[in-house]
Amino acid sequence: MRKHHAIAAVAAVGIAAAGLTACSADGSDDGTVTVNWWTWDERAAAAYAECVPGFEDANPGVKVEISHYAVDDYFTKLTAGFVAGTAPDAFQNSVPLLGAYAEQGQIMPLDELIDESGYDLSVFDVGVESWQYTDGQQYGIPLDWAGAAIYFNQDMVADAGLTPEDITTMTWNPDDGGTFDDVVARLTVDASGVRGDEPGFDPENVETYGINSIASGDFNGQTTWNPFVSTLGWRLGGEDAAWPTEIPYDDPEFAQTLDYLRGLADRGLTPGFGEFTVSSAEMIGSGSVAMVQGGTWDSSSITQIPDVPVGIAPTVEGPEGRMMISNSNANNVFVGTQHVDETWDWVTWMGTVECQTTAGAGAVFLPSIAEALQSTVETQAAEGLDLSTFIQALEGGELYPAPPTANGQEIVDTITPLFEAYFSGERDEEVFAEMTTLTQDILAP
Amino acid sequence: MSLSTAGAAPKRPPATGPKRPPRRPAANSPAHRGDGWLAWILIAPAMIGFLVFAVYPTLRGVYLSFTEFRVLTPPTWIGLENFREMFADSVFWSSLGVTVYFVVIAVSLTMIVSIATAAVLHRITESTVIRGLIILPFLISTVVAATVWSWMLDTQLGIVNVVVQAFGGDGVQFLTSREWAIPSVAFIHVWKNMGYTAIIIFAGLQTIPPQVYEAGRIDGAGESKMFFRLTLPLLRPILALVLVLNVIGAFQMFDIVSVTTKGGPANASNVLQMYIYSKAFGQFDFGYASAMSLSLFAILIIITFLQMRLLRANESETD
Repeated sequence: MRKHHAIAAVAAVGIAAAGLTACSADGSDDGTVTVNWWTWDERAAAAYAECVPGFEDANPGVKVEISHYAVDDYFTKLTAGFVAGTAPDAFQNSVPLLGAYAEQGQIMPLDELIDESGYDLSVFDVGVESWQYTDGQQYGIPLDWAGAAIYFNQDMVADAGLTPEDITTMTWNPDDGGTFDDVVARLTVDASGVRGDEPGFDPENVETYGINSIASGDFNGQTTWNPFVSTLGWRLGGEDAAWPTEIPYDDPEFAQTLDYLRGLADRGLTPGFGEFTVSSAEMIGSGSVAMVQGGTWDSSSITQIPDVPVGIAPTVEGPEGRMMISNSNANNVFVGTQHVDETWDWVTWMGTVECQTTAGAGAVFLPSIAEALQSTVETQAAEGLDLSTFIQALEGGELYPAPPTANGQEIVDTITPLFEAYFSGERDEEVFAEMTTLTQDILAP
Repeated sequence: MSLSTAGAAPKRPPATGPKRPPRRPAANSPAHRGDGWLAWILIAPAMIGFLVFAVYPTLRGVYLSFTEFRVLTPPTWIGLENFREMFADSVFWSSLGVTVYFVVIAVSLTMIVSIATAAVLHRITESTVIRGLIILPFLISTVVAATVWSWMLDTQLGIVNVVVQAFGGDGVQFLTSREWAIPSVAFIHVWKNMGYTAIIIFAGLQTIPPQVYEAGRIDGAGESKMFFRLTLPLLRPILALVLVLNVIGAFQMFDIVSVTTKGGPANASNVLQMYIYSKAFGQFDFGYASAMSLSLFAILIIITFLQMRLLRANESETD
């Protein structure tokens, strides 16, 4: 009897092992090559899926498989894929991770492929420089770019006696805040209906804030302080357009700008740091703010709120005109890909005016090719959405590319708590010098 | 089966008798023939799991803590460099401080609430439904519980702040201010784990013979006096176990923080596990993260050892 049990046990183990082997076996091989491509944005996945039929028609025998994973898991999954050799052939990547992936030889330098195929990078109007590693080689082919914009509740603007032009032409300076300061104060209303620029305004009991909180822990302040301080000539990489050795948070103009922005909350014109936790669309939709400075990626959702007409304005015009940082996501190719040529074909197909125009039509992202962006703007204009400020930003030189940095994630993790400490009032101006010292240690150890 | 009686089979010689020859019962007794390999097969699933998922990762973690390891390239041995870095890392020390702060609040609250709940369950209700309800929060996935609580504690939309404001208070930034972040996380943790601890203590209460209480009552002791003079001392081994488990669990706090505050604001709730996670999976600095994990391991061993000794956890008054 015992013997029978033992045999059964051995048999069970054997069956389990056989099952495992079966799982890891590959499917049938009918000669087609599948190119796997990953993104973290499900809307981008759907948009780029529209480029696939054209690509597959033009490249018989090649299939494209698009997958998307939530951004919180995306990079962990990617890393696991690098280790196991199962990473996708090509994938969307974010600038701060270029350094880590290129340094460890996980993504392919593309110069040779570019030369061989005669692919012309000049088709892009933004983002190419952000994807050059310290070895001078190109590691990424730009996909989309993102910056900041100001969204305003048109009804509230009218109620305040302002016009949309007052919003789209706001000026700003760190001394008196320019017309931006006047507009924000005008749009702020306290619980008894007194506006922020009227006597008797109660900053402790605000019903509607002029604008959302211009404070965050974000190390590049993309949608918060960056569009302000950049108009003074300040740049994230200082003198360096790429691979900076420090981030000049200790610049006196930087401190002055941040002090002005933090002061807005003390004056009751914006919510305090950490007070609002909801998305910008929810803030403006609920009427708790009259304007939102948010990402360009918000444009297609924030303008769809029922019964709340939302207009789009560019960021503020400062002493040196408008300027903001732009993040350019790009396609990277995994070194472990078995199908370099097919993958390269797909990557360059995505980087064409045609694909960018098709995929970008829904404005879920802003194409890095001005011609395709123009087409996005026209498509959206036909549906009543005016995105022309984004064309103006791209073509008018109102954005500078985010510099790639070494140890990007360490910068983020180190700087975020310090910004949070500054905006919550735990720390003051002296924190900026400390931040710069820390970035020196991390960027140029 | 027959395995349990096998030990009694050979005749035991008298203790004072002459030295018996070395015996090999497994070889001699027909009842034992072939048992060894069957035992190994039966143990194998648990054993393999233990070796693969516990022993090997632990040993590898120990090894990695002496290396520079960024996952994508092989580890390189750097000796004690990680530990040197750790001692100089102010974020590590502040994380440790935050963790201890959390442990103190969470464990003391859990113990007080659990003991009170268990005593109430034991002395007042016989209803299994009510007893079962107590453990409900423990059955909910931590991520779900933390997400729901983060909504309820939200400054703008949270029901808790609606209540606070109804009583004339100002909106409290439960999860976004330094003062409240750790107490709020500890509160969620206590809410989640109190039931489980209470049930263990409740089981312990049931092992106390009722005669003890009868005797107490005859001697004229009231409920509270019996609780402090009889219940608590007799529960000591169970309380020690529960305390040790709770301290270990609280030191390993990660999921609630990850869902509600991500360690913020300004590192105010950056517990050690959160810091280890962001070093490892955010910055790919697995060597340094392993070194910190090893330190946490050492801290837990020392604390557990001290607790066991101080509480004399392996002795009981009822024996």
